[in-house]
Amino acid sequence: MSASAAAARSGARHEQRALPGKWAALGLTVAVHLALALFLFFGVRWQSPPPAALEVGLAGAPAPAAAPAARPKPTPEPRPAPKPEPKPQPKSEPKPAPAPKPEPPKPQPKPEPKPEIATKAPEKKPEPPKPQPKPTPKPEPKPQPKPEPKPPPKPAPKPAPKPAPKPEPKPAAKPLDDYMAQRLAQETLRADEARLASLMAQEGARVAAQGTTGRGAPGGDIDKYRAAIAAKVRGNLLRPPGLSGNPEAVFEVIQLPSGEVLEVRLKRSSGVAALDDAIERAIRRSSPLPLPDNRSQFQRTLELKFRPLAED
Amino acid sequence: MTVTHDLSILSLISQASVLVQLVMALLATLSLVSWYWIFRKSFQIRQARTETERFERDFWSGGDLNTLYESASRSQAEGMERIFESGYREFTKLRAKGHDHTATLDGARRAMRATHQREIDDLEAHLAFLASVGSVSPYIGLLGTVWGIMNSFRGLSSVGTATLAQVAPGIAEALVATAIGLFAAIPAVVAYNRFAHDIDRLGIRFESFMEEFSNILQRNLR
Repeated sequence: MSASAAAARSGARHEQRALPGKWAALGLTVAVHLALALFLFFGVRWQSPPPAALEVGLAGAPAPAAAPAARPKPTPEPRPAPKPEPKPQPKSEPKPAPAPKPEPPKPQPKPEPKPEIATKAPEKKPEPPKPQPKPTPKPEPKPQPKPEPKPPPKPAPKPAPKPAPKPEPKPAAKPLDDYMAQRLAQETLRADEARLASLMAQEGARVAAQGTTGRGAPGGDIDKYRAAIAAKVRGNLLRPPGLSGNPEAVFEVIQLPSGEVLEVRLKRSSGVAALDDAIERAIRRSSPLPLPDNRSQFQRTLELKFRPLAED
Repeated sequence: MTVTHDLSILSLISQASVLVQLVMALLATLSLVSWYWIFRKSFQIRQARTETERFERDFWSGGDLNTLYESASRSQAEGMERIFESGYREFTKLRAKGHDHTATLDGARRAMRATHQREIDDLEAHLAFLASVGSVSPYIGLLGTVWGIMNSFRGLSSVGTATLAQVAPGIAEALVATAIGLFAAIPAVVAYNRFAHDIDRLGIRFESFMEEFSNILQRNLR
Protein backbone atom coordinates (compact mmCIF):
# COMPACT_ATOMS: atom_id res chain seq x y z
CA MET A 1 0.00 0.00 0.00
CA SER A 2 2.80 2.33 0.83
CA ALA A 3 4.35 1.39 -2.50
CA SER A 4 1.21 2.34 -4.32
CA ALA A 5 1.07 5.59 -2.42
CA ALA A 6 4.62 6.30 -3.38
CA ALA A 7 3.79 5.42 -6.95
CA ALA A 8 0.88 7.81 -6.91
CA ARG A 9 3.17 10.48 -5.55
CA SER A 10 5.81 9.86 -8.12
CA GLY A 11 3.19 9.84 -10.86
CA ALA A 12 1.94 13.22 -9.70
CA ARG A 13 5.47 14.48 -9.76
CA HIS A 14 5.88 13.32 -13.34
CA GLU A 15 2.86 15.25 -14.46
CA GLN A 16 4.24 18.39 -12.94
CA ARG A 17 7.63 17.89 -14.47
CA ALA A 18 6.20 17.50 -17.94
CA LEU A 19 4.88 21.03 -17.89
CA PRO A 20 7.99 22.98 -18.90
CA GLY A 21 8.47 20.76 -21.95
CA LYS A 22 4.90 21.44 -22.94
CA TRP A 23 5.36 25.08 -23.77
CA ALA A 24 8.63 24.53 -25.52
CA ALA A 25 7.02 21.79 -27.56
CA LEU A 26 4.06 24.01 -28.42
CA GLY A 27 6.32 26.81 -29.54
CA LEU A 28 8.48 24.52 -31.61
CA THR A 29 5.42 22.93 -33.21
CA VAL A 30 4.05 26.28 -34.24
CA ALA A 31 7.48 27.28 -35.50
CA VAL A 32 7.77 24.18 -37.66
CA HIS A 33 4.39 24.71 -39.25
CA LEU A 34 4.96 28.40 -39.73
CA ALA A 35 8.24 27.65 -41.44
CA LEU A 36 6.53 25.18 -43.74
CA ALA A 37 3.76 27.61 -44.55
CA LEU A 38 6.23 30.37 -45.30
CA PHE A 39 8.19 28.02 -47.50
CA LEU A 40 5.08 27.11 -49.43
CA PHE A 41 4.17 30.75 -49.89
CA PHE A 42 7.51 32.19 -50.82
CA GLY A 43 9.83 29.33 -51.58
CA VAL A 44 7.73 27.50 -54.09
CA ARG A 45 6.90 29.27 -57.27
CA TRP A 46 3.28 28.54 -57.90
CA GLN A 47 1.83 29.30 -61.24
CA SER A 48 0.48 32.78 -60.80
CA PRO A 49 1.32 34.71 -63.97
CA PRO A 50 -1.48 35.19 -66.42
CA PRO A 51 -1.89 33.34 -69.68
CA ALA A 52 -3.49 33.54 -73.09
CA ALA A 53 -3.70 32.20 -76.55
CA LEU A 54 -0.75 31.51 -78.68
CA GLU A 55 1.22 33.87 -80.72
CA VAL A 56 4.87 33.28 -81.00
CA GLY A 57 6.57 36.60 -81.17
CA LEU A 58 10.05 35.86 -82.25
CA ALA A 59 12.12 38.92 -81.80
CA GLY A 60 15.75 39.80 -81.60
CA ALA A 61 16.99 36.62 -83.13
CA PRO A 62 20.22 37.57 -84.87
CA ALA A 63 21.92 40.78 -83.96
CA PRO A 64 21.30 42.97 -87.03
CA ALA A 65 17.73 42.04 -87.45
CA ALA A 66 16.19 43.36 -84.30
CA ALA A 67 14.84 46.65 -85.63
CA PRO A 68 14.12 45.90 -89.29
CA ALA A 69 11.68 43.18 -88.37
CA ALA A 70 8.67 45.25 -89.26
CA ARG A 71 10.19 46.92 -92.29
CA PRO A 72 11.46 44.06 -94.36
CA LYS A 73 8.77 43.98 -96.99
CA PRO A 74 9.59 47.07 -98.98
CA THR A 75 13.02 45.71 -99.67
CA PRO A 76 12.02 42.45 -101.33
CA GLU A 77 12.39 44.15 -104.70
CA PRO A 78 15.86 43.15 -105.59
CA ARG A 79 16.27 45.51 -108.55
CA PRO A 80 15.69 48.84 -106.85
CA ALA A 81 18.44 48.27 -104.37
CA PRO A 82 21.34 48.01 -106.79
CA LYS A 83 20.13 50.70 -109.16
CA PRO A 84 19.61 53.60 -106.82
CA GLU A 85 23.27 54.23 -106.29
CA PRO A 86 24.51 54.31 -109.87
CA LYS A 87 21.56 56.28 -111.18
CA PRO A 88 21.58 59.22 -108.83
CA GLN A 89 24.61 60.45 -110.73
CA PRO A 90 22.88 60.59 -114.08
CA LYS A 91 20.02 62.42 -112.47
CA SER A 92 22.09 65.36 -111.51
CA GLU A 93 21.42 67.10 -114.82
CA PRO A 94 24.58 66.14 -116.59
CA LYS A 95 22.28 63.88 -118.56
CA PRO A 96 21.10 66.33 -121.18
CA ALA A 97 24.62 67.07 -122.43
CA PRO A 98 26.14 63.57 -122.65
CA ALA A 99 25.28 61.19 -125.45
CA PRO A 100 24.17 58.18 -123.32
CA LYS A 101 20.53 58.89 -123.88
CA PRO A 102 19.15 55.40 -123.99
CA GLU A 103 20.39 54.65 -120.54
CA PRO A 104 19.61 57.87 -118.74
CA PRO A 105 15.90 57.85 -119.45
CA LYS A 106 15.37 54.62 -117.57
CA PRO A 107 17.31 55.62 -114.56
CA GLN A 108 15.37 58.82 -114.12
CA PRO A 109 12.06 57.22 -113.37
CA LYS A 110 13.53 54.63 -111.07
CA PRO A 111 15.46 56.90 -108.80
CA GLU A 112 12.37 58.96 -108.21
CA PRO A 113 10.20 56.11 -107.05
CA LYS A 114 12.81 54.95 -104.64
CA PRO A 115 13.02 58.06 -102.60
CA GLU A 116 9.27 57.94 -102.47
CA ILE A 117 9.39 54.48 -101.07
CA ALA A 118 11.86 55.52 -98.49
CA THR A 119 9.85 58.47 -97.35
CA LYS A 120 6.43 57.02 -97.76
CA ALA A 121 7.19 53.61 -96.44
CA PRO A 122 7.52 54.55 -92.81
CA GLU A 123 4.23 56.39 -92.83
CA LYS A 124 2.26 53.90 -94.82
CA LYS A 125 3.19 50.74 -93.06
CA PRO A 126 1.85 51.42 -89.66
CA GLU A 127 -1.58 52.35 -91.01
CA PRO A 128 -3.29 49.93 -93.34
CA PRO A 129 -5.56 52.44 -95.12
CA LYS A 130 -2.66 54.33 -96.69
CA PRO A 131 -1.79 51.76 -99.31
CA GLN A 132 -4.97 52.68 -101.17
CA PRO A 133 -4.17 56.35 -101.51
CA LYS A 134 -0.79 55.55 -102.98
CA PRO A 135 -1.93 54.20 -106.31
CA THR A 136 -3.99 57.31 -107.05
CA PRO A 137 -1.45 59.96 -106.13
CA LYS A 138 1.37 58.31 -107.99
CA PRO A 139 -0.14 58.29 -111.43
CA GLU A 140 -0.60 62.05 -111.23
CA PRO A 141 2.89 63.02 -110.19
CA LYS A 142 4.48 60.76 -112.74
CA PRO A 143 3.01 62.23 -115.86
CA GLN A 144 4.13 65.66 -114.77
CA PRO A 145 7.75 64.92 -114.15
CA LYS A 146 8.14 62.82 -117.24
CA PRO A 147 7.06 65.32 -119.85
CA GLU A 148 9.15 68.06 -118.36
CA PRO A 149 12.49 66.40 -117.92
CA LYS A 150 12.42 64.23 -120.98
CA PRO A 151 11.62 66.73 -123.69
CA PRO A 152 14.49 69.06 -122.86
CA PRO A 153 17.20 66.41 -122.91
CA LYS A 154 16.06 64.82 -126.14
CA PRO A 155 15.95 67.84 -128.38
CA ALA A 156 19.27 69.10 -127.13
CA PRO A 157 21.27 65.96 -127.74
CA LYS A 158 19.82 65.20 -131.16
CA PRO A 159 20.97 68.26 -132.97
CA ALA A 160 24.48 68.40 -131.54
CA PRO A 161 25.94 64.87 -131.73
CA LYS A 162 25.17 63.41 -135.16
CA PRO A 163 27.27 60.24 -135.13
CA ALA A 164 25.60 58.55 -132.26
CA PRO A 165 22.11 60.03 -132.42
CA LYS A 166 20.51 57.77 -135.04
CA PRO A 167 20.02 54.76 -132.85
CA GLU A 168 18.96 56.98 -130.03
CA PRO A 169 15.62 58.27 -131.23
CA LYS A 170 14.14 54.79 -131.49
CA PRO A 171 15.28 53.66 -128.08
CA ALA A 172 14.20 56.94 -126.63
CA ALA A 173 10.62 56.47 -127.79
CA LYS A 174 10.51 52.89 -126.65
CA PRO A 175 12.04 53.67 -123.28
CA LEU A 176 9.25 56.08 -122.67
CA ASP A 177 6.64 53.40 -123.21
CA ASP A 178 8.69 50.87 -121.31
CA TYR A 179 9.05 53.44 -118.73
CA MET A 180 5.39 53.90 -118.20
CA ALA A 181 4.81 50.20 -118.25
CA GLN A 182 7.59 49.60 -115.82
CA ARG A 183 6.45 52.35 -113.59
CA LEU A 184 2.93 51.13 -113.60
CA ALA A 185 4.08 47.67 -112.79
CA GLN A 186 6.27 49.02 -110.07
CA GLU A 187 3.48 51.09 -108.70
CA THR A 188 1.11 48.19 -108.49
CA LEU A 189 3.84 46.05 -107.03
CA ARG A 190 4.67 48.67 -104.53
CA ALA A 191 1.06 49.15 -103.58
CA ASP A 192 0.62 45.45 -103.04
CA GLU A 193 3.74 45.27 -101.08
CA ALA A 194 2.87 48.27 -99.03
CA ARG A 195 -0.43 46.67 -98.19
CA LEU A 196 1.30 43.45 -97.32
CA ALA A 197 3.83 45.31 -95.32
CA SER A 198 1.21 47.13 -93.36
CA LEU A 199 -0.56 43.88 -92.64
CA MET A 200 2.63 42.25 -91.58
CA ALA A 201 3.61 45.22 -89.51
CA GLN A 202 0.33 45.07 -87.68
CA GLU A 203 0.51 41.40 -87.13
CA GLY A 204 4.17 41.19 -86.42
CA ALA A 205 5.96 42.82 -83.59
CA ARG A 206 5.04 46.45 -83.12
CA VAL A 207 8.26 46.39 -81.26
CA ALA A 208 10.59 47.85 -83.80
CA ALA A 209 8.98 51.06 -84.95
CA GLN A 210 12.05 52.78 -86.33
CA GLY A 211 13.18 50.46 -89.02
CA THR A 212 16.03 51.74 -91.08
CA THR A 213 15.18 50.65 -94.57
CA GLY A 214 18.68 51.47 -95.73
CA ARG A 215 20.08 47.95 -95.99
CA GLY A 216 16.88 46.45 -97.05
CA ALA A 217 18.06 43.23 -98.58
CA PRO A 218 19.69 41.70 -95.50
CA GLY A 219 16.86 42.89 -93.28
CA GLY A 220 14.33 41.24 -95.54
CA ASP A 221 16.15 37.96 -95.58
CA ILE A 222 16.63 37.99 -91.87
CA ASP A 223 13.03 38.79 -91.39
CA LYS A 224 11.98 35.98 -93.64
CA TYR A 225 14.32 33.72 -91.74
CA ARG A 226 12.93 34.79 -88.44
CA ALA A 227 9.38 34.49 -89.65
CA ALA A 228 10.09 31.01 -90.91
CA ILE A 229 11.47 29.94 -87.56
CA ALA A 230 8.60 31.53 -85.72
CA ALA A 231 6.05 29.90 -87.96
CA LYS A 232 7.59 26.50 -87.57
CA VAL A 233 7.95 26.69 -83.82
CA ARG A 234 4.49 28.13 -83.43
CA GLY A 235 3.09 25.29 -85.45
CA ASN A 236 4.64 22.82 -83.06
CA LEU A 237 3.63 24.57 -79.92
CA LEU A 238 0.94 22.98 -77.80
CA ARG A 239 -0.26 25.73 -75.60
CA PRO A 240 -0.57 24.70 -71.97
CA PRO A 241 -3.96 25.31 -70.46
CA GLY A 242 -4.90 28.10 -68.20
CA LEU A 243 -2.65 30.80 -69.54
CA SER A 244 -3.59 34.39 -69.12
CA GLY A 245 -1.89 37.71 -69.70
CA ASN A 246 1.15 37.92 -71.83
CA PRO A 247 4.16 36.19 -70.33
CA GLU A 248 7.34 36.35 -72.32
CA ALA A 249 9.96 33.67 -72.43
CA VAL A 250 13.43 33.97 -73.91
CA PHE A 251 15.22 30.90 -75.14
CA GLU A 252 18.70 30.44 -76.41
CA VAL A 253 18.91 27.84 -79.12
CA ILE A 254 22.13 26.36 -80.35
CA GLN A 255 21.77 24.82 -83.79
CA LEU A 256 23.95 22.92 -86.17
CA PRO A 257 24.63 24.35 -89.60
CA SER A 258 22.01 21.93 -90.86
CA GLY A 259 19.44 23.62 -88.67
CA GLU A 260 19.19 20.78 -86.23
CA VAL A 261 18.62 21.93 -82.71
CA LEU A 262 21.52 21.01 -80.51
CA GLU A 263 20.57 22.65 -77.29
CA VAL A 264 17.69 24.69 -75.96
CA ARG A 265 18.34 26.81 -72.96
CA LEU A 266 15.82 28.82 -71.03
CA LYS A 267 17.23 32.29 -70.55
CA ARG A 268 14.24 33.98 -69.05
CA SER A 269 11.25 32.07 -67.84
CA SER A 270 7.76 33.17 -68.70
CA GLY A 271 6.89 32.44 -65.10
CA VAL A 272 4.77 29.51 -66.14
CA ALA A 273 6.76 26.33 -65.95
CA ALA A 274 4.30 24.48 -68.16
CA LEU A 275 4.59 27.12 -70.84
CA ASP A 276 8.37 27.07 -70.69
CA ASP A 277 8.34 23.34 -71.11
CA ALA A 278 5.85 23.54 -73.94
CA ILE A 279 7.96 26.08 -75.80
CA GLU A 280 11.09 24.09 -75.30
CA ARG A 281 9.38 20.98 -76.60
CA ALA A 282 8.08 22.93 -79.56
CA ILE A 283 11.56 24.15 -80.39
CA ARG A 284 12.96 20.66 -80.19
CA ARG A 285 10.18 19.31 -82.31
CA SER A 286 10.91 22.00 -84.87
CA SER A 287 14.34 20.56 -85.45
CA PRO A 288 15.71 21.01 -88.06
CA LEU A 289 14.90 24.68 -88.06
CA PRO A 290 14.42 26.42 -91.38
CA LEU A 291 17.60 27.81 -92.85
CA PRO A 292 18.04 31.34 -94.09
CA ASP A 293 18.14 31.98 -97.83
CA ASN A 294 21.30 33.85 -97.30
CA ARG A 295 23.76 31.52 -95.69
CA SER A 296 25.73 34.40 -94.29
CA GLN A 297 22.91 35.08 -91.93
CA PHE A 298 23.14 31.70 -90.32
CA GLN A 299 24.00 31.83 -86.65
CA ARG A 300 24.80 28.95 -84.43
CA THR A 301 23.15 30.50 -81.44
CA LEU A 302 19.78 32.09 -81.79
CA GLU A 303 17.93 34.03 -79.19
CA LEU A 304 14.24 33.40 -79.50
CA LYS A 305 11.68 35.47 -77.70
CA PHE A 306 8.25 33.98 -77.29
CA ARG A 307 5.27 35.97 -76.31
CA PRO A 308 1.99 34.10 -76.45
CA LEU A 309 -0.51 36.91 -76.87
CA ALA A 310 -4.13 36.53 -76.04
CA GLU A 311 -5.80 35.78 -79.33
CA ASP A 312 -9.15 34.52 -78.27
CA MET B 1 -11.65 29.74 -73.72
CA THR B 2 -8.94 31.26 -71.70
CA VAL B 3 -9.30 29.63 -68.35
CA THR B 4 -7.55 31.71 -65.79
CA HIS B 5 -6.44 29.82 -62.74
CA ASP B 6 -4.50 31.27 -59.96
CA LEU B 7 -2.63 28.26 -58.67
CA SER B 8 -1.24 29.72 -55.51
CA ILE B 9 -1.40 27.47 -52.49
CA LEU B 10 -4.08 29.61 -50.90
CA SER B 11 -6.44 29.47 -53.85
CA LEU B 12 -5.76 25.77 -54.23
CA ILE B 13 -7.02 25.25 -50.73
CA SER B 14 -9.87 27.71 -50.83
CA GLN B 15 -11.25 26.43 -54.12
CA ALA B 16 -11.29 22.81 -53.08
CA SER B 17 -14.56 21.07 -52.38
CA VAL B 18 -15.91 20.92 -48.86
CA LEU B 19 -14.92 17.36 -48.13
CA VAL B 20 -11.41 17.97 -49.38
CA GLN B 21 -11.20 21.04 -47.19
CA LEU B 22 -12.37 19.02 -44.22
CA VAL B 23 -9.74 16.43 -44.92
CA MET B 24 -7.09 19.10 -45.17
CA ALA B 25 -8.18 20.67 -41.89
CA LEU B 26 -8.16 17.31 -40.15
CA LEU B 27 -4.72 16.55 -41.48
CA ALA B 28 -3.43 19.95 -40.44
CA THR B 29 -4.58 19.43 -36.87
CA LEU B 30 -3.15 15.90 -36.86
CA SER B 31 0.14 17.32 -38.03
CA LEU B 32 0.11 20.00 -35.35
CA VAL B 33 -0.68 17.55 -32.57
CA SER B 34 1.81 14.98 -33.74
CA TRP B 35 4.57 17.56 -33.94
CA TYR B 36 3.66 18.71 -30.46
CA TRP B 37 4.08 15.19 -29.15
CA ILE B 38 7.22 14.65 -31.14
CA PHE B 39 8.85 17.55 -29.35
CA ARG B 40 7.51 16.66 -25.94
CA LYS B 41 8.53 13.05 -26.20
CA SER B 42 11.98 13.91 -27.39
CA PHE B 43 12.43 16.26 -24.43
CA GLN B 44 11.14 13.66 -22.03
CA ILE B 45 13.26 10.81 -23.35
CA ARG B 46 16.38 12.93 -23.41
CA GLN B 47 15.77 14.00 -19.85
CA ALA B 48 15.18 10.42 -18.69
CA ARG B 49 18.40 9.31 -20.34
CA THR B 50 20.58 12.03 -18.81
CA GLU B 51 19.09 11.45 -15.37
CA THR B 52 19.60 7.73 -15.69
CA GLU B 53 23.22 8.25 -16.62
CA ARG B 54 23.75 10.60 -13.71
CA PHE B 55 22.20 8.13 -11.27
CA GLU B 56 24.21 5.20 -12.59
CA ARG B 57 27.38 7.21 -12.07
CA ASP B 58 26.37 8.02 -8.50
CA PHE B 59 25.26 4.50 -7.75
CA TRP B 60 28.35 2.72 -9.00
CA SER B 61 30.70 5.23 -7.45
CA GLY B 62 30.17 3.26 -4.25
CA GLY B 63 28.18 5.63 -2.02
CA ASP B 64 26.13 4.51 0.92
CA LEU B 65 22.73 3.05 -0.06
CA ASN B 66 20.95 5.00 2.65
CA THR B 67 22.31 8.35 1.58
CA LEU B 68 21.51 7.47 -2.05
CA TYR B 69 17.99 6.67 -0.97
CA GLU B 70 17.69 9.96 0.87
CA SER B 71 18.72 11.98 -2.14
CA ALA B 72 16.58 9.85 -4.47
CA SER B 73 13.43 10.33 -2.44
CA ARG B 74 14.05 14.07 -2.43
CA SER B 75 14.87 14.40 -6.11
CA GLN B 76 12.29 14.84 -8.82
CA ALA B 77 14.21 12.70 -11.27
CA GLU B 78 12.51 9.94 -13.18
CA GLY B 79 13.80 6.70 -14.57
CA MET B 80 16.32 4.58 -12.80
CA GLU B 81 16.31 6.65 -9.63
CA ARG B 82 12.60 5.93 -9.14
CA ILE B 83 13.21 2.21 -9.51
CA PHE B 84 15.98 2.30 -6.96
CA GLU B 85 13.90 4.36 -4.57
CA SER B 86 10.87 2.07 -4.67
CA GLY B 87 12.94 -1.11 -4.42
CA TYR B 88 15.03 0.11 -1.51
CA ARG B 89 12.01 1.43 0.37
CA GLU B 90 10.19 -1.89 0.01
CA PHE B 91 13.39 -3.71 1.05
CA THR B 92 13.89 -1.69 4.24
CA LYS B 93 10.20 -1.94 5.18
CA LEU B 94 10.07 -5.70 4.72
CA ARG B 95 13.33 -6.21 6.54
CA ALA B 96 12.09 -4.08 9.47
CA LYS B 97 9.00 -6.30 9.72
CA GLY B 98 11.25 -9.33 9.98
CA HIS B 99 10.21 -11.25 6.87
CA ASP B 100 12.52 -13.97 5.69
CA HIS B 101 15.14 -13.29 3.07
CA THR B 102 13.37 -14.62 0.01
CA ALA B 103 10.16 -12.83 0.88
CA THR B 104 12.03 -9.55 1.39
CA LEU B 105 13.89 -9.90 -1.88
CA ASP B 106 10.74 -10.88 -3.76
CA GLY B 107 8.89 -7.92 -2.36
CA ALA B 108 11.67 -5.55 -3.37
CA ARG B 109 11.80 -7.03 -6.86
CA ARG B 110 8.05 -6.74 -7.29
CA ALA B 111 8.15 -3.12 -6.23
CA MET B 112 10.99 -2.39 -8.65
CA ARG B 113 9.22 -4.18 -11.47
CA ALA B 114 6.07 -2.18 -10.89
CA THR B 115 7.98 1.09 -10.95
CA HIS B 116 9.89 -0.03 -14.01
CA GLN B 117 6.69 -0.72 -15.86
CA ARG B 118 5.22 2.59 -14.79
CA GLU B 119 8.29 4.45 -15.95
CA ILE B 120 8.32 2.70 -19.31
CA ASP B 121 4.63 3.31 -19.70
CA ASP B 122 5.19 6.96 -18.92
CA LEU B 123 7.85 7.18 -21.56
CA GLU B 124 5.77 5.33 -24.11
CA ALA B 125 2.64 7.40 -23.58
CA HIS B 126 1.36 8.98 -26.80
CA LEU B 127 3.74 7.01 -28.94
CA ALA B 128 0.73 5.08 -30.21
CA PHE B 129 -0.73 8.37 -31.37
CA LEU B 130 2.38 9.05 -33.43
CA ALA B 131 2.14 5.57 -34.86
CA SER B 132 -1.45 6.00 -35.92
CA VAL B 133 -0.82 9.41 -37.42
CA GLY B 134 2.05 7.94 -39.35
CA SER B 135 0.05 5.08 -40.73
CA VAL B 136 -3.35 6.67 -41.22
CA SER B 137 -2.80 10.21 -42.39
CA PRO B 138 -1.59 9.18 -45.86
CA TYR B 139 -4.86 7.33 -46.28
CA ILE B 140 -6.86 10.31 -45.14
CA GLY B 141 -4.99 12.48 -47.59
CA LEU B 142 -5.60 9.92 -50.28
CA LEU B 143 -9.28 9.97 -49.53
CA GLY B 144 -9.33 13.71 -50.02
CA THR B 145 -7.41 13.38 -53.25
CA VAL B 146 -9.63 10.67 -54.64
CA TRP B 147 -12.69 12.65 -53.77
CA GLY B 148 -11.31 15.79 -55.37
CA ILE B 149 -10.37 13.94 -58.55
CA MET B 150 -13.77 12.31 -58.66
CA ASN B 151 -15.34 15.73 -58.52
CA SER B 152 -13.17 17.20 -61.21
CA PHE B 153 -13.89 14.27 -63.53
CA ARG B 154 -17.57 14.48 -62.82
CA GLY B 155 -17.45 18.14 -63.80
CA LEU B 156 -15.66 17.06 -66.95
CA SER B 157 -18.42 14.73 -68.00
CA SER B 158 -20.76 17.65 -68.60
CA VAL B 159 -18.33 19.27 -70.99
CA GLY B 160 -18.26 18.09 -74.57
CA THR B 161 -14.63 18.58 -75.36
CA ALA B 162 -12.40 18.07 -72.41
CA THR B 163 -9.16 19.89 -72.07
CA LEU B 164 -6.45 19.49 -69.56
CA ALA B 165 -7.22 22.98 -68.33
CA GLN B 166 -10.53 21.81 -67.01
CA VAL B 167 -9.18 18.90 -65.04
CA ALA B 168 -5.79 20.10 -63.94
CA PRO B 169 -6.82 22.61 -61.27
CA GLY B 170 -9.14 20.13 -59.62
CA ILE B 171 -6.45 17.51 -59.54
CA ALA B 172 -3.94 19.98 -58.18
CA GLU B 173 -6.35 20.93 -55.42
CA ALA B 174 -6.97 17.32 -54.63
CA LEU B 175 -3.30 16.46 -54.53
CA VAL B 176 -2.71 19.11 -51.89
CA ALA B 177 -4.60 16.82 -49.52
CA THR B 178 -2.16 13.99 -50.16
CA ALA B 179 0.74 16.35 -49.70
CA ILE B 180 -0.50 17.47 -46.33
CA GLY B 181 -1.14 13.87 -45.32
CA LEU B 182 2.39 12.90 -46.21
CA PHE B 183 3.77 15.91 -44.42
CA ALA B 184 1.99 14.80 -41.28
CA ALA B 185 2.87 11.14 -41.67
CA ILE B 186 6.57 11.18 -42.44
CA PRO B 187 7.81 12.95 -39.31
CA ALA B 188 5.42 10.93 -37.18
CA VAL B 189 6.75 7.64 -38.50
CA VAL B 190 10.37 8.69 -38.17
CA ALA B 191 9.83 9.98 -34.65
CA TYR B 192 7.90 6.90 -33.62
CA ASN B 193 10.64 4.56 -34.75
CA ARG B 194 13.33 6.57 -33.05
CA PHE B 195 11.45 6.95 -29.79
CA ALA B 196 10.54 3.28 -29.66
CA HIS B 197 14.18 2.38 -30.11
CA ASP B 198 15.33 4.81 -27.44
CA ILE B 199 12.73 3.59 -24.96
CA ASP B 200 13.67 -0.02 -25.61
CA ARG B 201 17.26 0.71 -24.78
CA LEU B 202 16.29 2.59 -21.64
CA GLY B 203 14.08 -0.33 -20.62
CA ILE B 204 16.96 -2.76 -21.03
CA ARG B 205 19.15 -0.56 -18.86
CA PHE B 206 16.44 -0.45 -16.21
CA GLU B 207 16.09 -4.22 -16.20
CA SER B 208 19.76 -4.92 -15.90
CA PHE B 209 19.95 -2.39 -13.09
CA MET B 210 17.12 -4.20 -11.33
CA GLU B 211 18.98 -7.49 -11.53
CA GLU B 212 22.20 -5.99 -10.29
CA PHE B 213 20.48 -4.13 -7.49
CA SER B 214 18.72 -7.34 -6.42
CA ASN B 215 22.10 -8.97 -6.11
CA ILE B 216 23.35 -6.14 -3.95
CA LEU B 217 20.28 -6.35 -1.73
CA GLN B 218 20.73 -10.09 -1.39
CA ARG B 219 24.31 -9.56 -0.30
CA ASN B 220 23.10 -6.99 2.24
CA LEU B 221 20.73 -9.54 3.80
CA ARG B 222 23.45 -11.93 4.81
